[in-house]
Amino acid sequence: MTAQPMARPGPGLRGRLGRALPYLLLAPGLLWLAVFYVLPAIQMFTYSISTGSVENGYSITMSADAYSEALNRFGKQFLNSIMYGGVATILTLLIGFPVAYTIAFRGGRYKNLILFLVIAPFFTSFLIRTISWKILLGDEGPILAPLKHTFGLLPGTFSILGTPIAQAAGITYNFLPFMILPLYVALEKIDIRLIEAAEDLYANRGAAFRRVTLPLALPGVFAGSLLTFIPAMGDYINAELLGNPSTRMIGNVIQNRLLVQNDYPVGSALSFILMAGILVAVAVYARLLGTEQLTG
Amino acid sequence: MNEQHPSPPQLVSRRRFVQGTAMAGFAAFLAACTGTKSSASPSEAAAPSVSAPSAEASVAPSAAPTEKVVTGPLKFANWPAYIDQTTEAAADTGVLPAGSSKTLEDFKAQYKVEVDYEEKIGDNPAFFETIRPALAGGLPTGWDLVVLTDWMAAKIIAKSWAEQIDQENVPNCANNLRDALRGQTWDPNNDFHYPWQSGMTGIGYNAKTLADNKIAEPTRIADLWSIPADKLTFLTEARDTFGLGLLKLGIEPDPAKVTSDDLKKVADDMQPLVDKGLRFTGNEYLQDFGQKKVWAAFVWSGDLASSGGEDDKFAFPEEGTMIWTDNMLMPKGAVNKYTAELMMNYVYDPVVAAQIADYVYYVSPVKGADEHIKALDPGAETNPLLFPTADIVAKQRNFQFLSDELETSLNDLFATLSGL
Repeated sequence: MTAQPMARPGPGLRGRLGRALPYLLLAPGLLWLAVFYVLPAIQMFTYSISTGSVENGYSITMSADAYSEALNRFGKQFLNSIMYGGVATILTLLIGFPVAYTIAFRGGRYKNLILFLVIAPFFTSFLIRTISWKILLGDEGPILAPLKHTFGLLPGTFSILGTPIAQAAGITYNFLPFMILPLYVALEKIDIRLIEAAEDLYANRGAAFRRVTLPLALPGVFAGSLLTFIPAMGDYINAELLGNPSTRMIGNVIQNRLLVQNDYPVGSALSFILMAGILVAVAVYARLLGTEQLTG
Repeated sequence: MNEQHPSPPQLVSRRRFVQGTAMAGFAAFLAACTGTKSSASPSEAAAPSVSAPSAEASVAPSAAPTEKVVTGPLKFANWPAYIDQTTEAAADTGVLPAGSSKTLEDFKAQYKVEVDYEEKIGDNPAFFETIRPALAGGLPTGWDLVVLTDWMAAKIIAKSWAEQIDQENVPNCANNLRDALRGQTWDPNNDFHYPWQSGMTGIGYNAKTLADNKIAEPTRIADLWSIPADKLTFLTEARDTFGLGLLKLGIEPDPAKVTSDDLKKVADDMQPLVDKGLRFTGNEYLQDFGQKKVWAAFVWSGDLASSGGEDDKFAFPEEGTMIWTDNMLMPKGAVNKYTAELMMNYVYDPVVAAQIADYVYYVSPVKGADEHIKALDPGAETNPLLFPTADIVAKQRNFQFLSDELETSLNDLFATLSGL
């Protein structure tokens, strides 16, 4: 008799808690997104349709001037971003796939060690790694000097630093683990018996790779290329340190507009266009690869 | 030219430099941990006599307890290769480690205070951007003493972002500043600044690389246009780059007469070089010369003499040079203001000033330093870097102070030129 009323609130509270639990678990993440993504994005959009200056303050004038300047004047840098981001994504895929494949299927007991080696350089800061490329690729650096003087393979005037090659190589290097790790996770999950079954069914090794391994690795390819392409497009350190004025990317312009010229409207408009562009590109890419395959 | 100088100081090797900076950083860290707050006492060491406010005021227990206490570490931001540094050869005598500075070491010993001297300034706008947010927000910048070129110093002073100098603490400055540098319109009584060094912007080149590639040594600005553009660098300091660009086109770089159209002509003239790989750098051109990455560049007059290699030369172009002065000022909110004033006063002692100028090869703003430079270094009077000849002086041009309109158009053209 006395136990019943005591028992009733129990399941009720637990039930309510149970219903609220997913939201409670999501709350820290949502709060994080709201404070560090949604609010800044709103503020940036507000700046992009404002006019004024840092000294005298900005007022919202709903002007689209910033957008038209951003598109008319910096088309080349947008193209550079797409090009260098794209080249780096393709190169990381070409370099990363064999590496991830080897670790997943041939790594054996060295798997963890090799994975550690992939990540090891990344214990150093991004900036230091890029600056060290400046030294490596220097005209009289450890790579070019022997090729020029000892072997005589290159003319004395040859240089890589400050060229599109150095910039693409730097971006590729800096984002390589972001490709290797998701690829490894996808490949590692593949049941080796599926490949054996394909071979039992008279598929040669090439066909088994094409029809079994590759499709099963697609989620890794998708995740890896997004993780590479998106930050690579916005990168400005590599262009600043390894490129030249003709290879500047949109990240350099945004940095310059916001921090050097104090041109907040154009800087914000550029950031917004970049964000929108990436969203569209990702949507198209997901559609092309087929999202069901990726989540399934 | 600099090659006339009998014994060019040796380049501090990268390793020694890294060791030096690491040690300095570590020392600063230790100092921070132990809360170094040395109250100064006059040094018994035979440091150069400085007719200073000296530190007696701080020792006297009664008078103005907080104002004249030497606090530290003094945070001092300067440009690369801009103070006397012990060369490796000199370091072998065992007095100071290579890369350290006699001026700074003596100052530290005399005032018993740490100095955190950092080569943080590669060009004016980039450095200013690192301190602007703090200044705008009314917060300390983390620096007690910074060295900035005229136009930037004037800008900071105009915004009331500099601490006022207590002239009582800097008698050497007040007495020894050269007359020609007094009475600047932007700070006529030197309430906020005292010059560090003056210099010129001209052409730097590596004579050996040019000879190897059968290119004549440049004597005119226009000669750079016939060197492969990817082996050239110009300066991110737009006033210098466009000033020399105007001289090349035969346009007088007089801020009162130059128009936006003139600047556009310079940009159009340089664009083909950019398309072929020309880069713009700050003071990092010293590293590029060290790595033989550049064959020729727009450079500041003393740098290659003090810190370049044997074959790195400076030329005063026939068309003329740009002239400027870099100035010490204390950013608003400087924590160790009194120590910063002591430092300004210290480097205005003619003996100390000579020691600095004879290393950095720039023109000292200190009256009476000349005699000491000549005593230190018997060939110096014929070195045009330290003592520009009448012919060089006649061709010096000042393109520092621009109207707002001209500055906007300069910044805009330069951004486009540098791909931004």
